[in-house]
Amino acid sequence: MTQVSAPVIDVTKLTRRFDSRTALDAVTLSIPRGAVYGLVGANGAGKTTLIKHILGLLRAQSGSVRVFGLDPVADPVGVLSRIGYLSEENDLPGWMRVDELIRYSRAFHPAWDDEYAEELGQSFALEPGAKIKTLSKGQKARVGILIALAYRPDLLVLDEPSSGLDPIVRRDILGAIIRTIAHEGRTVLFSSHLLEEVEQVADHVTMINKGKIVLSAPLAEIREAHTVGGRVPSLDEIFIARVGMSAAAASES
Amino acid sequence: MIGVVAYLIVLAGIKLVVIARGVPIYLGSPESFAFVVMAPLVSTFTYFLAVFTFGLDGDLAARQSMFPARRFTLPVTTTALAGWPMLYGSAAIILLWLATRTLALWPSGIAVPSIWPALLAASLLAWTQALTWMPYPLPGLRIIVTVLWLGTIDTTALIALHFNARESFMLGILAPQIPLAYIVARFAIARARCGEVPDWRGAFASLTRTGLPAPEGGRFRSPASAQAWFEWRRYGRSLPAWVAILLPFELVLLWAAGDSRSLVFTILIAVLLTPPFIAMFAAAAVSTSSPDAGDSYGITPFVATRPLTTAELVGAKLKMAIRSTVVAWLLILISIPIALDLSGTLALVLDRWHGVRLFMGMPRAVVLLLVALAGCIALTWTQLVQSLYIGLTGRASLIKASVFLVLGFFFVFGPFFEWISDSGRLGELWSALPLILAVLAAAKMTAAVWIGVRLYQKRLVSDRTLVTGAAVWCVTVFTLYGVLVWLLDTPHIPHYLLMLIAILTIPLVRLSAAPVALAWNRHR
Repeated sequence: MTQVSAPVIDVTKLTRRFDSRTALDAVTLSIPRGAVYGLVGANGAGKTTLIKHILGLLRAQSGSVRVFGLDPVADPVGVLSRIGYLSEENDLPGWMRVDELIRYSRAFHPAWDDEYAEELGQSFALEPGAKIKTLSKGQKARVGILIALAYRPDLLVLDEPSSGLDPIVRRDILGAIIRTIAHEGRTVLFSSHLLEEVEQVADHVTMINKGKIVLSAPLAEIREAHTVGGRVPSLDEIFIARVGMSAAAASES
Repeated sequence: MIGVVAYLIVLAGIKLVVIARGVPIYLGSPESFAFVVMAPLVSTFTYFLAVFTFGLDGDLAARQSMFPARRFTLPVTTTALAGWPMLYGSAAIILLWLATRTLALWPSGIAVPSIWPALLAASLLAWTQALTWMPYPLPGLRIIVTVLWLGTIDTTALIALHFNARESFMLGILAPQIPLAYIVARFAIARARCGEVPDWRGAFASLTRTGLPAPEGGRFRSPASAQAWFEWRRYGRSLPAWVAILLPFELVLLWAAGDSRSLVFTILIAVLLTPPFIAMFAAAAVSTSSPDAGDSYGITPFVATRPLTTAELVGAKLKMAIRSTVVAWLLILISIPIALDLSGTLALVLDRWHGVRLFMGMPRAVVLLLVALAGCIALTWTQLVQSLYIGLTGRASLIKASVFLVLGFFFVFGPFFEWISDSGRLGELWSALPLILAVLAAAKMTAAVWIGVRLYQKRLVSDRTLVTGAAVWCVTVFTLYGVLVWLLDTPHIPHYLLMLIAILTIPLVRLSAAPVALAWNRHR
């Protein structure tokens, strides 16, 4: 008998409203350990709102969020100490030097791997004495990836990490995800509207539109289900078809 | 805006009720005149200041210009960017004065001036615009420069009035202010538009770096110590740096004081009040969750996702405030004796100390000195941290409303105290003081219990921390009470009054509320 491990992320009927707008509408999502989940959706679909609930930055108005079996609002230390997080905003403190940021971040994670951090720093050609605010957007993203990965987190959460970045930095970010996957049992939640990137790394795709999950399945199944006449459509085409159907259904109702 | 409109509506309602009842209005008394004319005028003026400087959305303590950055990309000249808001603001302020002068019921026998109050108000607005749009090399410098410069203009006008200056003289002083302010504003916007923000922080960092925790080459002892370092680097150095800058200018006056004992002690009192005074301004930055963020009141995801409890995040701020206070006071305590000795005024101070010692006895004199010193140090720290419970909520409306309330309190407090004093009710106030203090103490303890329950229910602090905090507060209150009883050993002051003073003096509610406020901000 195979033992089924508890999901790393377990979101149940999560609803969130901002004034009269419903940002998340009864979202249910379960991400098992070791999975690479691509969370895709148009701008404003609710991806970042969902991720903020997972990080405990938003409190569930109704429904529940559990990460590693814990409530991220009630136990931020228990949850956040096991998560590596990189956001599109990349709000690293500009006044810090790169080496100061590394020393500062290391203090929060006993499992911090100095050798791995050094390796990442060298491969990204980061200047330790450079102030964060003087770095380019791409270099800032690389620093963000370094401090998110160097303690080998159990869960890596990337919220639109490659938005507005050049192809070389995007390659570095994808490489980081692949490195994380290479460590057995690590889970990745990767939010993006660049679907070709998601296609490269995700083994499970969740499409979200106007706060609702319109499709959630393994990538292979999605492709198979949408194959017409032997032609396998791209994730872009599937997404447009799904979101279009969802919009049509909404306008009918 | 909502606050001003609500105030004006309430005021209009009161006026209608008064008129409907046929109650006569006597504007001869300062209180009724202040209530009916000055308070709405001042609150509308304050609102205009906030609107035309774009100050409602900006961070006063930041180095960057408060002029909205999105307007820099408009296809208009810098002259237009600076000129139009200044023109609109000046026009609005002048119209406000003219409307008030024409429509308000002024007490008979007062020659209400025609133009110069409008020019004074327009000058204050124009300079506020220029100084808030200017990028500054140090955080907090904007507040200090603006307060000092506006205070100078205001004081100049008051001195001129004191000497019964003619309207033409007042116009001569005030008329050039608006074009001068415009030139400064244009220069400020031209710099800000090019992204020029001077930075002197590095130069002043060396003043306060020695002996303080830094991660150079080593590891932090704990996540909490890393966060304390973060807070120190982000906010902690402002207060000592400002004290270090101002101190030489104050102490050099001792050389000019000569043998004037009163002048020497005035200078010393000013020096001792410098840290708490500066701390009031520094607190604006400390309370701000994230000066780097677009929404300067909210907490950044970087800080919010630190694997620390909310109480530890607040604790780091409190530790930073302690370090900041200690460093600022070390500067004061080291420099005062040196300056007294070098200026030759030490003998005057020792002579006064000898007199106090003879009058009170050595032990009481020493304890009084230590209590006064501890009070000044505690006041500095309190100034830094007492507004955390508002700032850490991250709610702009709440923060702005609290500023409005504090300003409103000051507007009301002066006339109210004058009314008490003029109506000969100071004795009644003195008699009611124990009751007032008891009510305040009861309100404080009720609020403390409510906060304590919230902290416990939300598990924001551990049971042990909660109990230890309560015990430390009780011990501190009883210690202060004991010292006060010993110092003020007189039958005229009942002991229960000293206990109430001790309860009200030692901070409890606002500090305890800080984790609740941050949790509300961190987990929205």
